[in-house]
Amino acid sequence: MPEIKVTPLGAGQDVGRSCILVSIAGKNVMLDCGMHMGYNDDRRFPDFSYITQNGRLTDFLDCVIISHFHLDHCGALPYFSEMVGYDGPIYMTHPTKAICPILLEDYRKITVDKKGETNFFTSQMIKDCMKKVVAVHLHQTVQVDEELEIKAYYAGHVLGAAMFQIKVGCESVVYTGDYNMTPDRHLGAAWIDKCRPDLLITESTYATTIRDSKRCRERDFLKKVHETVERGGKVLIPVFALGRAQELCILLETFWERMNLKAPIYFSTGLTEKANHYYKLFITWTNQKIRKTFVQRNMFEFKHIKAFDRAFADNPGPMVVFATPGMLHAGQSLQIFRKWAGNEKNMVIMPGYCVQGTVGHKILSGQRKLEMEGRQILEVKMQVEYMSFSAHADAKGIMQLIRQAEPRNVLLVHGEAKKMEFLKQKIEQEFHVSCFMPANGETTSILTNPCIPVDISLGLLKRETAIGPLPDAKRPKLMHGTLLMKDNSFRLVSPEQALKELGLAEHQLRFTCRVHIQDPRKEHETVLRVYNHLKGILKDYSVQHLPDGSITVESILIQATAHSEDQGTKVLLVSWTYQDEELGSYLTSLLKKGLPQSPP
Amino acid sequence: MDAADEWLVQSLRLYRDLHTFELQAPTRLIEWARGNRVCVAGYGQSDGNEILQLIPPPTLLTKETQGLCPERDFKVECGGFSERPVYSLKYVPDTSLLVTSGPPNSSLQVWQVSAEDSDVIKSVSTLATENCTGQSWAKIDTISARAPWVLHGSRLDRVQITEVESRKSVYTAASRGSEELSGLAFLDCNTLLLCCATGRLCLADVRQPQSLVEATPVPSAPCSEQWCLGSRHRAQPSEPSSQPVARLSSRGLLTLTDLRKTSEFLALAKARVPSPGSGAEFLCVSWAPALEGCLAISERERNKERLNKGLE
Repeated sequence: MPEIKVTPLGAGQDVGRSCILVSIAGKNVMLDCGMHMGYNDDRRFPDFSYITQNGRLTDFLDCVIISHFHLDHCGALPYFSEMVGYDGPIYMTHPTKAICPILLEDYRKITVDKKGETNFFTSQMIKDCMKKVVAVHLHQTVQVDEELEIKAYYAGHVLGAAMFQIKVGCESVVYTGDYNMTPDRHLGAAWIDKCRPDLLITESTYATTIRDSKRCRERDFLKKVHETVERGGKVLIPVFALGRAQELCILLETFWERMNLKAPIYFSTGLTEKANHYYKLFITWTNQKIRKTFVQRNMFEFKHIKAFDRAFADNPGPMVVFATPGMLHAGQSLQIFRKWAGNEKNMVIMPGYCVQGTVGHKILSGQRKLEMEGRQILEVKMQVEYMSFSAHADAKGIMQLIRQAEPRNVLLVHGEAKKMEFLKQKIEQEFHVSCFMPANGETTSILTNPCIPVDISLGLLKRETAIGPLPDAKRPKLMHGTLLMKDNSFRLVSPEQALKELGLAEHQLRFTCRVHIQDPRKEHETVLRVYNHLKGILKDYSVQHLPDGSITVESILIQATAHSEDQGTKVLLVSWTYQDEELGSYLTSLLKKGLPQSPP
Repeated sequence: MDAADEWLVQSLRLYRDLHTFELQAPTRLIEWARGNRVCVAGYGQSDGNEILQLIPPPTLLTKETQGLCPERDFKVECGGFSERPVYSLKYVPDTSLLVTSGPPNSSLQVWQVSAEDSDVIKSVSTLATENCTGQSWAKIDTISARAPWVLHGSRLDRVQITEVESRKSVYTAASRGSEELSGLAFLDCNTLLLCCATGRLCLADVRQPQSLVEATPVPSAPCSEQWCLGSRHRAQPSEPSSQPVARLSSRGLLTLTDLRKTSEFLALAKARVPSPGSGAEFLCVSWAPALEGCLAISERERNKERLNKGLE
């Protein structure tokens, strides 16, 4: 039976470094190539040795697909393509292609420049890696080769995130990456059609979670920001240029407008232009409200949010500042942090994950005395808060997606095995599908039942439907024909047509059997006895006594001759075609039992 | 600003803290479990109603407001599936068992909450009650005093105590009528409290099956009015009950009764219920476990109102 094989190289039963190898109908695809942000050694990369011990990766893999620009999904890509070695195509959406290298470079700077690591990919490697990228549009079927095709679906989550369908012939897999089933202020909700893949691979990180509503998170965020500015304090929000920053900006803009607040809100210089540029370029990736409003005005040009100048950091009074980079490891956000950290009226809100070693990570861990450059000690008196606004699907969202796509099987990644048994049962029970949870390096094989499309000739269809009961959509009907395979396509035709197309003559196969009967009478009398006997038994069949002295039962022919050496024995010749094998055998055994005694 | 955003702004003024979590399916119960867990369960007519034991986020478990705490979500610690709607659920103290009840009849289901190597709540047994077919669902309460017991009954003449593990019946209350029960409770290992849908309140002593003591009847009201019960376990049988028993009607009438003096009301009050007279299906009154003298009531519209005991 054909099967699909899935091997997580990272993210099987753990979180971080998403990387999944899928083998489908002879094609090998790598899904995501992420970095584990919690490790500093080789454990941060997926284990590529599972792919192939011998031979080049380029020869083994047909393509790599990257779902979105978060580093736990693409962070190991330059390492994989330029240091391990892969020259094949890398597919991702247009926004991901635009934004990925920015994050990779940012991360490279932290790791090499800040932390002094040496065995890491370079800026040139990032550029060389991106040259291998083929960007795709949503719902565009992309032919990777003659047999393998892929299609991207909207995933929400971050700008450009996509779920991917990978299809070879009739077998298909859908990989979700990270996705979100509820729309937010600037992105829509994930959506997929009823594509009924053989396998759906989905994240289960939040599958056993009932999430606090987004409204409550926003409410708490606004409350904190408002309280701080009301008491005259300053709020620093370190962000990456794209992603949650836009979400928070729209939220604050809405709140400031409603509450008629006057405290200024700033966005780092350069950040606004860059973000605006990307969101204008990829406006189709935002939600409906943003797109509709964009006709009149650009929703990312805010009334209450202005471009920041470094001199503003020294202004008295309350303010809110969005500044890069997001982990406080360098640049403007760190400069501002250093100025404001000593005042307990101020607040810093970290809206995302911070890598170990960064100032962001240190203060979130509770450190309040930081050693800065030049051995200066910075005492952190400002309030430190963390709020994750990342958009992931929870248990309800995962079930919604499965309901939408209608897969035949489900495979979960990113969760602890012990804690997924209930989810597995839930999925199996609600959808009557099998659910798998492999660990890293563990290969799961999923049997598929591919449908092979066959054309049926109209003549055969008409002939077969005329026989027997009327066609019924709910009942399968058995049809007989000849299957012809030509040029990778199948056709079902009548035997006569098949013979004609193949240029073959039809041969009839007949069987003959001799049955000896003890009867001293003349041949024609024996024939009459046989006729009467068969007529009496085979009431549902057409039994005929022909003028030439032979008997027919349907297409079976019976003739009687005298035995050459014994006049008291008659030899019955029973002859039938291959189609009447059953009846012929039955007649033969019936005649072998002998004829009933005729009345005197 | 759209309506949702407007509500968000208003909520800053109305609530000091607000937490909203959306379950996949509605529940008509929420019960505390050991270790600050909570349990909810579905009540749909089709099978596959989930029983979920949840770990609340740290934000809900501390007194002080935690600010922007990173851990804000409920985690599903373990779960199971019930083929029947779950209308009532009680943990059996000092065991890893819980008991559920619900239509179509008054039998009970016993479940094993997960072992360390699994997160599945498994069905262990069914406690079939006498003539359970045709009876409405049983109200239940549990205690582990002499043994793990479950108190159950759908009507006043069908009240029993069954040992959970052996399934033996250890007590049957004397029959004083066949009114439907709206609630029952162990006050302690010897004393039971039974409340009928009509508001009739009875006390029973397990040691004296034939005696039932009735408390003051509730104020007379339209016969469609229904009542529910709010009470608390006493730690020791001999400890005098300082915690009155509350009864709440579907019209919002609240009575407090001191069990040491059942012939009169301790207090009467009128609570605001959004749909008076709509029936008591989702009506609930309970004593706040950590707030002395405070009651919480909830009704179909899911409004929550906290009342002080001293209301008149």
